[in-house]
Amino acid sequence: MDFQGIHDRLRAVRAPGLLGVDEPRAAVPGAKHGETKDAGRGGDPFVLIDPQRIVEFLHVCRDEDRLRFELLVDLTATDPKAEEPNLWINLNLLSVERRQRLAVKALLPKSALSMPSSTPIYRAAQWHERECAEMYGITFVGHPDPRHILLPDDWIGYPLRKDYVFPKEYHGISCE
Amino acid sequence: MGLIEHQFEENVLTTRVDWLLNWARLNSIWPMTFGLACCAIEMMAVGAAHHDIDRFGAGAFRASPRQADLMIVAGTVNFKMGERVKRLYDQMPSPKYVIAMGACATGGGPYFKFGYTVMKGVDRCVPVDVYIAGCPPRPEALLEGLMKLQEKIRRSSVVRKPARMA
Repeated sequence: MDFQGIHDRLRAVRAPGLLGVDEPRAAVPGAKHGETKDAGRGGDPFVLIDPQRIVEFLHVCRDEDRLRFELLVDLTATDPKAEEPNLWINLNLLSVERRQRLAVKALLPKSALSMPSSTPIYRAAQWHERECAEMYGITFVGHPDPRHILLPDDWIGYPLRKDYVFPKEYHGISCE
Repeated sequence: MGLIEHQFEENVLTTRVDWLLNWARLNSIWPMTFGLACCAIEMMAVGAAHHDIDRFGAGAFRASPRQADLMIVAGTVNFKMGERVKRLYDQMPSPKYVIAMGACATGGGPYFKFGYTVMKGVDRCVPVDVYIAGCPPRPEALLEGLMKLQEKIRRSSVVRKPARMA
């Protein structure tokens, strides 16, 4: 099934938390020379969902007969700009049985970085969420093992956030 | 039959203590089995037949710091690892030597600016004798570094210096 088919199917089964859809498009030239009204975008089409209902949404994606996304390929986050109020949560799903992929995104406000853990649906989400948590400061509610995965346990700050301040020293070792 | 057999009479050699000890030390620098990143691949190439670090007596890679004389820090050292590197260095018996191999171990390398967790050179936690440039250095460069270390050992001295006359 192509992206349109997957989206129609998600609409038809009333997938919980589904907010919208975004597809790649060509740039629209503006009136003045060298300006564009819409810069366009490449990449994959994706569906936008409510991060607080991600578990119910993924449950439909995994178990609905025409979708069957049995693999979570990736779960990560993006901080586009320091002044942007939201973080992007990005998921990639793969169905080996139906030979289709789906990109799922969600906007999570930086003021309340908390969302349910996807581990009840995909156990592969455990390590991804641990990395996301330490790199962006997101709390995944219901995660079975919320320790750091890469950084030392006493690390201060969230390195992949745009507003991250680099440390001056770590355990007496200069970072300069 | 070797080349030197039946070449000498029953002779006695005289030498200096420093010369003899340094000769023994610099021709048996045993490194520690210890690689952190891509530089370790080049280090393994140096250990293999083509470059053959054993020609310099440094091919016996020991799996324990307590049997090693040389720590070749081959790769990126982050803070989490740096504390372990320090600990391994402390466990080595003296005299002990450290080679910082490659750009990362020398000064942070490509992670110098934005590597939030990369130590900007392994000399922040252990004393380094020889730095080798390169990303990663060629095997010949590591051998050059080893020879530099041998020169350094050759210049060292263990004998008690005579008291200066007043």
